[in-house]
Amino acid sequence: MQALVELENASYRAPRRRGLFGPARPEILQQISFSICAGESIAVIGANGSGKTTLLRLLAGIYRPSAGKVTNRSATTSMLSIGVGFVPQLSGRENAILSGILLGFTRRQVESRIAQIREFSDLGAAFEAPLATYSSGMRARLGFSVSALLEPDLLLIDEVFAVGDKDFVKKSMAVMENKFRSTHTIVMVSHNLQLIGRICSRTLWIDKGRCRMDGPTEEVVAAYQGTAEAPVS
Amino acid sequence: MKSGSPDIFERSRDLVLYLTYTNLRVESSRYYLNFLWWIIDPLLMLATYYILFGLIIQHSVPDFIPFLLVGLVCWQWFSNSVSHAMGSVLSSGMLIRQVYFPKLVLPVSVLLVDFVKILVVIAVLLVFVWSYGFAPGVHYLALPLVMMVQAVLIYGVAVMMAGLVPLLPDLRLIVLALLQLSFFLSGVLFQPTDVPEQFLWLFYLNPMAPIIEAWRAILLYAAWPHWGNLGQALVIGVACSLAGNLLFRQLDPVFPNIVEEG
Repeated sequence: MQALVELENASYRAPRRRGLFGPARPEILQQISFSICAGESIAVIGANGSGKTTLLRLLAGIYRPSAGKVTNRSATTSMLSIGVGFVPQLSGRENAILSGILLGFTRRQVESRIAQIREFSDLGAAFEAPLATYSSGMRARLGFSVSALLEPDLLLIDEVFAVGDKDFVKKSMAVMENKFRSTHTIVMVSHNLQLIGRICSRTLWIDKGRCRMDGPTEEVVAAYQGTAEAPVS
Repeated sequence: MKSGSPDIFERSRDLVLYLTYTNLRVESSRYYLNFLWWIIDPLLMLATYYILFGLIIQHSVPDFIPFLLVGLVCWQWFSNSVSHAMGSVLSSGMLIRQVYFPKLVLPVSVLLVDFVKILVVIAVLLVFVWSYGFAPGVHYLALPLVMMVQAVLIYGVAVMMAGLVPLLPDLRLIVLALLQLSFFLSGVLFQPTDVPEQFLWLFYLNPMAPIIEAWRAILLYAAWPHWGNLGQALVIGVACSLAGNLLFRQLDPVFPNIVEEG
């Protein structure tokens, strides 16, 4: 079977040097090669700054590799980001529409779901108030409620759930797990090793921009936990 | 509901229009007097030039005040649009790393914001010109055409600069200086007849010169614009537009890599 996504020796270098006399550009990802088949759920783990987010952006087509090749054959790819394009002066409703359009919907599509977004976000009357008046938890709830609409063929997740208070965390986790079952293919960056064990059968361990290990989740997580950089559980 | 698939055109159009709307709303909500500033701000600017060139500095042009204001409004549309739009991609580093969308959306929505604002100013200008005694006539028919030529020119220059500025942010300062220079060279403060004959061709190479002249012909002198000079401005505008579009097509996937976060 043909792979849905293929990376062949993909490298990524940070943006140009800062000005004429700036420092040289570091290479964030170095010669990463792996492929993703349709239907797989893959976790990406590694220490902070190892290049996990950059890898997702390569997969999302936001970045182009500075060397090597990234081939994505899925019809639709979405990076699940919370609160994309949020503007403090706009109301919750306006931000939901703006964010929805940025995430890939038409205005009509978002507006037809606006009641659903409002209800899911639990914001009540605050939905019409400027975002500047929101707490960070309310902001995250609004963002999640918009992102929850996404149903792409390839879903990329960068550590986004568990937002808001306890009840909302439960609710959003339920939505996410439902999505994991219904979406065909998922690549997810997470430090939550328990969650990964439950959801992803395969795990990629990125270490200082290189792929250190790629295999069944139990094996990779076990090896990762043996090192100092693993989070304490 | 599938995302990303439906229609890149429909999505881009929605994005441009909604960004324009939100930008206008955000900008006006920042101040106590809200959108009244769309009128007050240009009025203050016009008053400054009126005091300087209408009262203090001597000049030979008859009806200098309307002459000056027509030229200024026309120039402001060009200058504001270009100076606002050229940083639109560079300042969206955060956004273009989070999601994919056609980056051309960014300068276009900024241009639309300035277009809406200048329409308000033009309405005020027309009322002023009429009350000054210059009645509208058949020549107003040419005004939409002149505005279209100007819009094409603005689009071309602004999009080209919005694409180049991320590559070389220093360009922003250079363009601002050039705008300042061409303000004085475009004939906002003087008539083309004041230009020495041997430099007249050079004067008209600047596409804003015939456009400003056309505005004055229509609003003040009840005359048709000089079609030849206007056509030349249009050719320059179309050339810039094509170059700008080509630039964005080439750089669209490159922008997130070269624009720094912020």
